[in-house]
Amino acid sequence: MLLPLTVIVFVAALLLLALSGWYAARSRLVDDRLLLVGAVLELGVLVQAVVALVHLGSVPGDDAETATFAAYALTLPFLPPVAVFLSLKEKTRWSMGVVAVAAFAVAVMTARLQQIWNLGG
Amino acid sequence: MAEVTPASDHDAPRSTRSGPGVVLVAVYGLLALAATGRSVLQITEYFSRAPLAYGLSAVAAVIYVVATVALARGDRTSRRVALVAISVELAGVLVVGLSSYVAKDAFPDKTVWSHFGSGYGYVPLVLPVLGLLWLRRTARSSPDWA
Repeated sequence: MLLPLTVIVFVAALLLLALSGWYAARSRLVDDRLLLVGAVLELGVLVQAVVALVHLGSVPGDDAETATFAAYALTLPFLPPVAVFLSLKEKTRWSMGVVAVAAFAVAVMTARLQQIWNLGG
Repeated sequence: MAEVTPASDHDAPRSTRSGPGVVLVAVYGLLALAATGRSVLQITEYFSRAPLAYGLSAVAAVIYVVATVALARGDRTSRRVALVAISVELAGVLVVGLSSYVAKDAFPDKTVWSHFGSGYGYVPLVLPVLGLLWLRRTARSSPDWA
């Protein structure tokens, strides 16, 4: 797939992971900076989902790989909004843990997307 | 549905989704998603290859979904449901984890619980322990975290 896009999403996810971890340690709540990083990440996974669906026909491997690829690409855009929504509702430092979990999941799933794509060599 | 009052001088057990519980619910939700996705794929694409392993994947998926919902609701009935679901989950990950090493033939393909959840960073092994501890902790009313 588009390697630069994967890199952008991956870096944004790691940044959100680091930021939320730091906020949790400092007992800080969600603020504009965290929302901005979350928005960048969300934009990235949305573009990634569109790109993935457009290129679905050329996913290497069998049907199972194609199905996994599509499922990951379509699930990813749901993670940041749900995490941010929970962090707005739960006003304790633990909500930053939720954001961290979601950011980590986005990083892992994006890496898996790229891994499946690379099966084609 | 009425919101649970956060008053700590009540006799009622604390909500399982408050404080650290919200992280627990999030991780359970993520595993529920992963297990359901994997299970649907395995059963629709190649069930005949490893019926036992894929059947267990489906069982695991259902249990994660039930545990997530029960922990997120957090009322009295949900606590009991969560306790049963998480106990089954712990037993499942231990039995399937051990079987996948001892009886390799029965598990030609992986499930969420095989090899004690090594495919998911051993999260499936740690999570039920944390879940049970959390249920016990919240059964007492006063919060000693925060």
